[in-house]
Amino acid sequence: MTTLSTAVIAAPPRRPRRRRPLEGLLVVPALLLFGGFFVLPLAVVLLTSLLTGNPVANPSVGFTLRNYQRLVGDDYYLEVLWTTLRLGLLTTVAALLIGYPLAHQLARLRTTLWRTLLLMAVLSPMLTGIVVRTYAWMTLLSNQGIVNTALQALGLTDKPVGLMYNELGTVIALVHIYVPFMVLTLTGVIGRIDPRLEEAARSLGAGKLRGFLEVTLPLSLPGIVAGSLLVFALSISAYVTPILMGGFEIITLPILIYQQISGSSFNLGFAGALAMVLLAVSLLLVVLYSRVMARTAGGRAWR
Amino acid sequence: MTGAMTGTRRGRRRPTAWDVVAYRTVNACLVGFLLLPILVVLLFSINPAPFIQFPPHGVSLRWFVKFFNSRDFMASFRLSVELALLTVVGATVIGTMAALALVRGRLPGAGFLAALFLSPLMLPAMLTGLALFQLYVLLDVGRPFWGLLIGHIVIAIPYVIRTTVAVLHNFDRSLEEAARNLGASELVTFREVTLPLIRPGVIAGAIFAFVVSFDQFPLSLFLVNPGQETLPITMFNYLRYDFDPTIAAASTVSIALSLAVVLLLERTVGLQDYVKL
Repeated sequence: MTTLSTAVIAAPPRRPRRRRPLEGLLVVPALLLFGGFFVLPLAVVLLTSLLTGNPVANPSVGFTLRNYQRLVGDDYYLEVLWTTLRLGLLTTVAALLIGYPLAHQLARLRTTLWRTLLLMAVLSPMLTGIVVRTYAWMTLLSNQGIVNTALQALGLTDKPVGLMYNELGTVIALVHIYVPFMVLTLTGVIGRIDPRLEEAARSLGAGKLRGFLEVTLPLSLPGIVAGSLLVFALSISAYVTPILMGGFEIITLPILIYQQISGSSFNLGFAGALAMVLLAVSLLLVVLYSRVMARTAGGRAWR
Repeated sequence: MTGAMTGTRRGRRRPTAWDVVAYRTVNACLVGFLLLPILVVLLFSINPAPFIQFPPHGVSLRWFVKFFNSRDFMASFRLSVELALLTVVGATVIGTMAALALVRGRLPGAGFLAALFLSPLMLPAMLTGLALFQLYVLLDVGRPFWGLLIGHIVIAIPYVIRTTVAVLHNFDRSLEEAARNLGASELVTFREVTLPLIRPGVIAGAIFAFVVSFDQFPLSLFLVNPGQETLPITMFNYLRYDFDPTIAAASTVSIALSLAVVLLLERTVGLQDYVKL
């Protein structure tokens, strides 16, 4: 419809030729900004991770792989990597289990009011900063926290259960922080599944559960994959939550990166090498995510 | 729930109440899980006790008084608001321009450019922070305010581009053609037709930009000056040594501010839109 009217009205031939360069030029500020303050700095990180020293302070630096060798040659750093991946996996699985029912309900609710309310409930954690949310979980899960107080008041335990300063507390808080991303991704995919398909399965004799398991669940698989990739990518790069909920008992890759530039061992090269590992993993996840989303959305993955 | 919508063969298998109840109960619990922490923070901010106490005894505003009287908190609060406002201006202007160019400029490699501009959304903000930190170290410029601001703008731009591009894709270009055919210049057409029509997307992006900047942590961590920190960083540092509910008060204030920004902008600008159309 738009194409037709455009074709008819846009008869004067001079217009497209004049408009094209003008509007294309609007990209220049963003291009300069991203070139100078996004691409270039990342290239600097890559470069410093491969150099023996600061190229500005000391012109006679050479290339080296020692920062990467240090990373793979030390069990401590491999353990950190494994902790990071493990926390990411646990968070992703838990976020999926929590996010799926919510997304399903959100996609299938027909009343606008309930839909809006549920959507607001899901999105409201995103409105609060990461430090605020982590603090909230500290008040809930610490030894004198609400959960432990309640457990003791109910007589279920006589001394505090360790809910914080370990992986359990870290994963709980991470799930809470990243589950909205899972819900939003899943809702989009489940919403596109025609509910009549499940109806059809049921009218052919399948039970409710079977209808869901054999129709809706398989069709929402791309959403499950995309949402999981997203939550995994987000949780392996978390800094605040592992450091506060883990109480320095847990060292993840982002914590290790910041230690390289904040502590006594100021080491830009090693920080760069660690950052490149995180970048490589994130890039891989992003590419996979956009592949999956492009297939479900039918093009325009970048929107 | 879905069973109620069957049009053709109703009543073949009446939805038994219990599974619907179970489904809704599970979801109610999950919503509780999402909302509980925020409610707890709000509760502690008005609880007079200096430690975690449940149920609370009485109501007090002493932690708000302590927050607003703390020089550290106030300085960082002011810095965060200023930074967020400047980020909104920068990201909205540059992001809207880029979105227009991406959708209409017929740029070579538009897909690649879009991916580039949206990548801060998906790449860890911490990496952008570290990268800018290294760049500034290399250039030997210290930790200037503009350096922090640029970082925030880079992180916020994708949100503006995404919302504006979404509006531009649903844009009926014949409206612009009509204005042009009636004799309006390109600039007038842009001001009178294009801009009002894409405004909801731009404003949505601006709101995101504010919230993203105001709550930004990992990027700021690398770029703030010690002693001149943003509110999230000050709160984080405070939390490592002290646990009293001043943090709850600070959290409540920042939640309220984020909410106010969203509601205020939606109300004022949303209403204006209705009046104009």
